[in-house]
Amino acid sequence: MAETIQVVSFKLGSEEYGVDIAQVQEINRMVAVTHVPRAPQFMEGVINLRGQLIPIIDLRARFGMPRAEHSKNTRIVVTEIAGKRVGMVVDSVSEVLRLALDQVEDAPEMLTGVETEYIRGVGKIEDRLIILLDLARIISGAEKRELEASDAEAVAAA
Amino acid sequence: MASSDEFFDRSEFVQYFRDETEELLQSIDADLLRLEGFVDSGGIDAEIVASLFRALHTIKGSAGMLEFADVQQIAHKLENVYDLLRKDRMPLTEHGINLLFEGRDVLTALVRAAVAGGEPPTGVEEYVERLDAFAGIYDSTAQVIEGPRADADAEEYLTPLDDAQVAAFQAEVERLLAASATAVDADAAQAAVDAFLTADATVAAPAFAARAAQPAPVAAAAAPNAPSAAAPDAKRAAKNQTIRVDIDRLDLLLNLVGELVINRTRISDIAGTLGRQLDGGARSDGDLATLAKDLSESSALLARTTNEIQESIMKVRMVPIGQVFDRFPRMVRDLAKARGKDIHLEIAGAETDLDKTIVDEVGEPLMHLVRNCVDHGIEPPDVREANGKPRHGTIKLNAYHEGNQVIIEVSDDGGGIDLQRVRDKAIRMGVIAESDRLSDPEIIQLIFTPGFSTASAVTDVSGRGVGMDVVKKNILRLKGVFDVDSVPGEGTTFTMKLPLTLAIIQALLVNVADELYSIPLDAVIESQRIDAADVRTVHGGEVITLRGQVVPLIRIAEFFRLDAPRDPDKVMIVIVGLQGRQVGLVVDSFQGEQEIVIKPLSDVIGRIAGISGATILGNGSISLIIDVHSLVAAARGTGKVTRAEFSGV
Repeated sequence: MAETIQVVSFKLGSEEYGVDIAQVQEINRMVAVTHVPRAPQFMEGVINLRGQLIPIIDLRARFGMPRAEHSKNTRIVVTEIAGKRVGMVVDSVSEVLRLALDQVEDAPEMLTGVETEYIRGVGKIEDRLIILLDLARIISGAEKRELEASDAEAVAAA
Repeated sequence: MASSDEFFDRSEFVQYFRDETEELLQSIDADLLRLEGFVDSGGIDAEIVASLFRALHTIKGSAGMLEFADVQQIAHKLENVYDLLRKDRMPLTEHGINLLFEGRDVLTALVRAAVAGGEPPTGVEEYVERLDAFAGIYDSTAQVIEGPRADADAEEYLTPLDDAQVAAFQAEVERLLAASATAVDADAAQAAVDAFLTADATVAAPAFAARAAQPAPVAAAAAPNAPSAAAPDAKRAAKNQTIRVDIDRLDLLLNLVGELVINRTRISDIAGTLGRQLDGGARSDGDLATLAKDLSESSALLARTTNEIQESIMKVRMVPIGQVFDRFPRMVRDLAKARGKDIHLEIAGAETDLDKTIVDEVGEPLMHLVRNCVDHGIEPPDVREANGKPRHGTIKLNAYHEGNQVIIEVSDDGGGIDLQRVRDKAIRMGVIAESDRLSDPEIIQLIFTPGFSTASAVTDVSGRGVGMDVVKKNILRLKGVFDVDSVPGEGTTFTMKLPLTLAIIQALLVNVADELYSIPLDAVIESQRIDAADVRTVHGGEVITLRGQVVPLIRIAEFFRLDAPRDPDKVMIVIVGLQGRQVGLVVDSFQGEQEIVIKPLSDVIGRIAGISGATILGNGSISLIIDVHSLVAAARGTGKVTRAEFSGV
């Protein structure tokens, strides 16, 4: 029996994605998001989660997909990576899946619109393809870009 | 050194010594436990031994300054044993490590006795004999131990001092101790005289004057007369103890208080709404009305208690910046000697309070700046004289509060930043091109380039690649601002502006494009509702005239790129003060004042110009907090604000 991992799967458009369940803290319905001006365009804003401020990333925007209207299925997947909590807006959450590691393959290049650097691999269950995301990269990428942006701003201000 | 005298308060030093030593003794314990793992293994971890060596050396040095001879002696002997281990001249045996553990305990007992001023513990001499006997086996030159250490090996770890320096320092310490002893006596005398006067108001005024004129003898004379006053004092001194608390626990407490404040506000809101609804419905429901009244009364009470808790916790976290400044007189003195320079250090504002976490973080950047002033700022005496300056240079450390910020300045009266050299260096480094035309301030900014140093010789102090860029980064990380100003031939001033705390403030809530923003109240001068026709345009920027003063405007909605229709008739303006200047922030409407808990925006979002954080309001919604400083700076950069109005900022 091969080693398995558990993933929370969700949808963006017609594609199915998965994140390691150990990194998912909770899944919430869409709530009012406070817009943060001058933040990177994929930053939806911040929400109040029981007294804590949680930044929200619009995953569609992060992956360069067109934005979608929020529906009753829209969810915020709250994750925690390296002590940082981040919420991600997804079209809908499907289920918790168990994937055998030998069912996971490296991401083929140019597989989807998602830049391959954010992909850990692609899992196969019967005829379904689950794109496994590397959350740490999604977040650190955000941070890096933002730092660059603010450095540029600091230089401009000085 | 005249100015540093007033900072030498022996009791403060003793307390500092106790805290510092307690921490070092703990680290010694941990290191010894780790070292024990190497017993009889034939090898040891050099890092652990070096750490032990340094800890003991620090204790020895501090004890020496305070003239705790016993502590100094034991620390010295133990240090010597670690030196033997370090040089591989002694194997690590079970017997040896036990002696070292025992030594640590003896040292602890001695430190406690010295701090409390009590009798030294028994058995010290016996321990010293055993330790000497043990070390003597491995160190045939044991008798040399007492002499000043000057071997080349020690220099790796320590700043070498020659005999003359040691002697000079010893003399200085003695002088300071003598000076502080007199100061303490004067205080005691004043206290005694005060107690005397309170006890018996009929004491003749001339007697008081005569005594005050000679404070020191009075202490002696007054003490027997007022034993009742002296005794409680001593008791109080004994009770004046501190405990060290894990900063995480304080943070947790602060967070909890933050939640409490939010909920307190919410309860006030509910009480208010309930009261209004009952009044509005004109209901004469007696019981309900009484309940509503009770609720609003107890919520007012809750508010008061919460405020007090909040303030107390804030105070617990606040410490004087002097804790950091204290290390500089010694450092500047040693460095100046080593560089052959004559430097006076002037310290002002040491009592300025700021948050503990900030104080902890600011030491390193400050040390770097001070070293920079000593190394690169102040010229050698002969050069100064040739330039018509006094032979001795002056470095000033100054701290003060400005609004909800603390300003710390490090300035010197040295040669200033050599713009030509900075420019040449930048060209050599490829940061700018030969053809680039830069203004003087722009050239100064080049020193923040990573790896930048104009020092012609790399010294062992500064100029080793850890440059101004690191200092600036550290200060930005603290949500502070760092700037440098330099006048050739006259000197350089480094200015850091740091947030006072990361906590709770009063704010003015305003509406902009359907969102609520909070503007820290201490930046707000007034709010104004003026006719749209009174807004003029100067150099492409909007201004209003307020009591004869031209005030530039920033439209928050435009700055934040938000959709907000302009009111064609009226303009709502919050006038904020910034370094003596006024700026008007245009908003949609005012929503009143409120106490808010500052929460940082997540690292994931990063720093955003114009926003310092966010807060959660009583109804659970989020309000972003406007950072007036960075907003104005960024607006200036984009040319949205009339530059002419800011030329002096």
